Amino acid sequence: MRYTITHRTEYQYSSGVALCHNEARLLPRETSWQLCRPSQIRIKPRPALSVERQDFFGNRVLYFGIQDVHQRLEVTVATEVRVLDERSFDESSASPPWKQACRMLGEDPDPEIIEARLFRLDSPFVGTHRDFRAYAEPSFTPNRPLLEATAELNQRIYEDFTYDPHFTTVATPLNEVLSERRGVCQDFAHLAIACLRSLGLAARYISGYLETLPPPGQPRLVGADASHAWLAVYVPGAGWAEFDPTNNCMPREKHVTLAWGRDYGDVAPLQGVMTGGGSHTLTVSVDVEPNPEPVKSKKSKA
Amino acid sequence: MTKAAVAYSDVLELPSETLLADYPVAAAGYDEMCSAPGKLRPHWREIAKTLEEIGGEELERRHGEVQRLLQTDGVTYNTYDDLRSSQQHWLVDPIPLLMTGEEWSDLAVGLEQRTRLMNALLADLYNQRLAIRQGWLPPELIYPHPGFLASCHQSLPTGFRGLIFHGVDLARGPDGVLRVYGDRTQSPAGAGYTLENRIILARALPMLYRDAPLRRLASFLETERTTLAGLARHHPENPHVVLLTPGPNSPVYFEHAYLANYLSLSLVEGEDLVVRDGRVWLKTLGGLQPVDVILRQVLDAFCDPLELRGDSLLGVPGLLQAVRGGHVVLANALGSGIIENPGLAAFLPLLCRQLLGEDLKLPSLPTWWCGNPDDHDYVLANLDQLVVRSILPSGPYWEGHQLDDKLRAQLIGQMRVKPYLFVAQESQPLSTAPVLEGGKLLPRPVMLRSFIVAEDDGYRVMPGGLARVSSGLDTLQAALQKGGISKDWWVLAQTPQRHVSLLRQAHGPIVATRDGSDLPSRVADNLFWLGRYSERFDGTARLLREALGRLLEWEQDNTDERCLDDLFDALEIPVPPVAESPRARFFALRQTLLSLLLESEHPGNLQAVFNGMLRTGRAVRNHLGDDSWRLLNRIQHWVQESSPGLNARQARELLEEELMLIAAFCGLNNETMPHHQGWLFFDIGRYLERVLRTLELFKLAFITARHPGVPLWEVVLTITDNLTAYRRRYRSALHPTAIIDLLLFDEGNPRSVGYQLQRLQRHVGRLQQPDSSPYRSAEERLVLEAVSTLQLADIAALAVLSHDSTHSSTELSRLLDALHTPLSGLSDALTHSHFSHAEVPQQLITMRP
Repeated sequence: MRYTITHRTEYQYSSGVALCHNEARLLPRETSWQLCRPSQIRIKPRPALSVERQDFFGNRVLYFGIQDVHQRLEVTVATEVRVLDERSFDESSASPPWKQACRMLGEDPDPEIIEARLFRLDSPFVGTHRDFRAYAEPSFTPNRPLLEATAELNQRIYEDFTYDPHFTTVATPLNEVLSERRGVCQDFAHLAIACLRSLGLAARYISGYLETLPPPGQPRLVGADASHAWLAVYVPGAGWAEFDPTNNCMPREKHVTLAWGRDYGDVAPLQGVMTGGGSHTLTVSVDVEPNPEPVKSKKSKA
Repeated sequence: MTKAAVAYSDVLELPSETLLADYPVAAAGYDEMCSAPGKLRPHWREIAKTLEEIGGEELERRHGEVQRLLQTDGVTYNTYDDLRSSQQHWLVDPIPLLMTGEEWSDLAVGLEQRTRLMNALLADLYNQRLAIRQGWLPPELIYPHPGFLASCHQSLPTGFRGLIFHGVDLARGPDGVLRVYGDRTQSPAGAGYTLENRIILARALPMLYRDAPLRRLASFLETERTTLAGLARHHPENPHVVLLTPGPNSPVYFEHAYLANYLSLSLVEGEDLVVRDGRVWLKTLGGLQPVDVILRQVLDAFCDPLELRGDSLLGVPGLLQAVRGGHVVLANALGSGIIENPGLAAFLPLLCRQLLGEDLKLPSLPTWWCGNPDDHDYVLANLDQLVVRSILPSGPYWEGHQLDDKLRAQLIGQMRVKPYLFVAQESQPLSTAPVLEGGKLLPRPVMLRSFIVAEDDGYRVMPGGLARVSSGLDTLQAALQKGGISKDWWVLAQTPQRHVSLLRQAHGPIVATRDGSDLPSRVADNLFWLGRYSERFDGTARLLREALGRLLEWEQDNTDERCLDDLFDALEIPVPPVAESPRARFFALRQTLLSLLLESEHPGNLQAVFNGMLRTGRAVRNHLGDDSWRLLNRIQHWVQESSPGLNARQARELLEEELMLIAAFCGLNNETMPHHQGWLFFDIGRYLERVLRTLELFKLAFITARHPGVPLWEVVLTITDNLTAYRRRYRSALHPTAIIDLLLFDEGNPRSVGYQLQRLQRHVGRLQQPDSSPYRSAEERLVLEAVSTLQLADIAALAVLSHDSTHSSTELSRLLDALHTPLSGLSDALTHSHFSHAEVPQQLITMRP
């Protein structure tokens, strides 16, 4: 599929900001299944300096510093992407029993497997706990293949939990999500990751976008989409397999990848530190527009 | 044969009772000085002779001298609690710890290799991560450790070393082998204390130090300076190097100020720096000045609230990006805290072969990392012989043999959940060294801290370092917070080396500067408040002294005590309710007055005011002369002498002492601080506080007094130290008109409002304005308003004043208010023009897991 993703963030401050330093993770990463055209980035007021780099996880990060006094900050990033219908994950190879996967993670000297061990450890938003293990265990019976077990966990989260955008915030602890059985995509991804890590498996958090279809017969509303989040589990020998517990599916061409990390904290779309500003209001709008025609080779500005 | 005779085969006549003969060295274990009871190691012979000559009693006297010198120099070590109770004085034992030149040479080779290895590991962990990918280091040891900062990935420009400074803790086991106990890379404290120890001991014990064949330290510090300057590749001619400190509340702030002075660096805090255009700048009175190199004494995670800990107030937003851009170099690099991970010790032999192609020369304390199942099993099986530690910074530790069943089960349970967070180390008794206690030498366990600094292409090791009395389980910081004792560590040279002055000589042309526009705004702010607090202290102490004096006179001679009510008003404390008897009233009044001397609810109590002085004074430590600093320490001594048990007379004597010292402090600052921008702020602070207090005193005496009249006027003259001047001039009874002239209009009288305003006007006019506007600044206009008001005052209308004339008191009241209003706005105006950028940055979004 081809999409144009437009992600617009606007901050209004009650008093002037004299200086701010920011980091945006709004530039979609290139992968073997996702091609990106150069993004159009519009930042107002104009930054005195902006620099792109890759972070520890390989995500694209845009640093920018604004030195003009301002009461409004607007960051808009528009990117044309093409998502292929297959992920890099090797689906042909049978997934090992999950206990064997745990053992391989602990012992296998393959550098790729060693690197994946980072995603077995606790991270700031996702701590392992026996409660998460207990929730996952019914799906992880002895000798069950890892993928099959994870798919069932994914489905159970989808069925057991209520999508409720008013229940949680970024700061809601995961055990509360588990006990109350409600949350949003970010919570469900974190929960699945916590379950997998509590079993000794490696799992990572993926931020991105998902095309939302309007109700039949109604036009598509521009800007009504939202950021999305899901996860991937590491299958030794086969790679990272993605799961979306919010939609009970394995992401394919409708899931556009932005960035990944240990949890949300590693991929927050916009962070900053400013001098002044007082209180602020935030407006975010996301638009995932399908492009029916193949993307022509017209020039985009970076 | 006596013990002494064994030790001194070459010294024939020794008294039978000697310092060394009584040294009770244990038969087991390793002692640095004696190889067996009564048997000296050869390299201790010379110093043993000297110590013997000096004798235990004299050593003890000199030891007192050392502590006194350290205290007056303000060598402190504070914990993070409140300022007053937290400062621990640095304790130094006068007996040095000796090491032969040969042993040290071997040690230095091992240390140099260790630093090279750690530097290579640091470079690898933040770039290729071969050590992890190849399986030389388990990821579970590195990633959960807060010292590993993913944000620092690829942040070090190529060609720069991450490790510039390295501190290594060492101890000797019973087998005589020196082993590494730990590494310090984030701000290896102690080099400054080492230097100060050496200087003070050499001063107090010249007979020991003058001709001692010991390696000197000065050239090591010189290397530090050269290395730091050499890091400024973009600006090699005249690099601007700053020392970034967390501030006066840091446990080792003394050392930061000391090193900054010694190495000629600007001492700055996070809020003094700002990142603009991808560069780091120092905020000064004259504008922004570029910074090339930062000697960083702030922990990694606190250095940049944008990319590291968002809740840090000590850092500089955008710093890491400036580092990536290559415009500023940090020593040590951000992320170096991972090297402090105690679990690395278990992997160093392999890492050394892989990263350097060499065998590890200097052994670490045998260490097992519990993340490895075999090691975990070993640790559980041998718990009694081991010390288990968390790998986390300042994490807890457990001595296996001391655990009862319950604690043991708890620990094992924790280790089962996350074994990779634990290491176990062999529990070895440390070697002992002689420490002076009660005129005798006693063997005490010791640890050493070595310092290593980058030099050209390699590393250089300090010949000596800091020795301290320790069990080996605590960290240096923990030990000192509990009042640990440090020792001077000598490395012996072949021949006696002259004790050269450690004062550095300039090596090239330097740019002449005057302490003016390059003064950091924060320093100006603190100097201003130091001035205000000093004057507030003086004013409060004078009022208190006067009140106590009146109280005593009343008690003895039954004089008129009613003006005490007014003095209580001036001190802003409530007058105690009417008492049953004069005796009860006396105690009630005394109690209330004493409460101002002690720590109390009252915000104006002397302790609180002095804490303000101390806090601001410490923040500008290297702008005050050494003698000023000593005076501040002496005032502190007196302030802390105050106790609830004081009687009125003792309290008054205490205040007398404090008033002399505060006068000396202010006077000395006038005499020694260059009269440039910094001093101007100090002086403006003092005179602004004084003029405000004088106006308030006036208002009290002539307008709001409960008991107006001669006794109160006399009090006002005494408090302003003008009674003598008045008597000389008028030789008559007190008359309000004459007092008003003396204290309000007489511009030749330093205690008069007129004089004070003139002085403020002169100094405010000399302040550098950030923008060179042709117009008067807000603060100039405010002073001008006050000066004009006074000069235009209708003296004739005031002259008819007497205590029963309501008309003129309205006139005076109006004048006092007209003076007070602009002056009370002056403080804010100064803050706005000169200090205003101390605004705290805030986060765009709050993310707290």
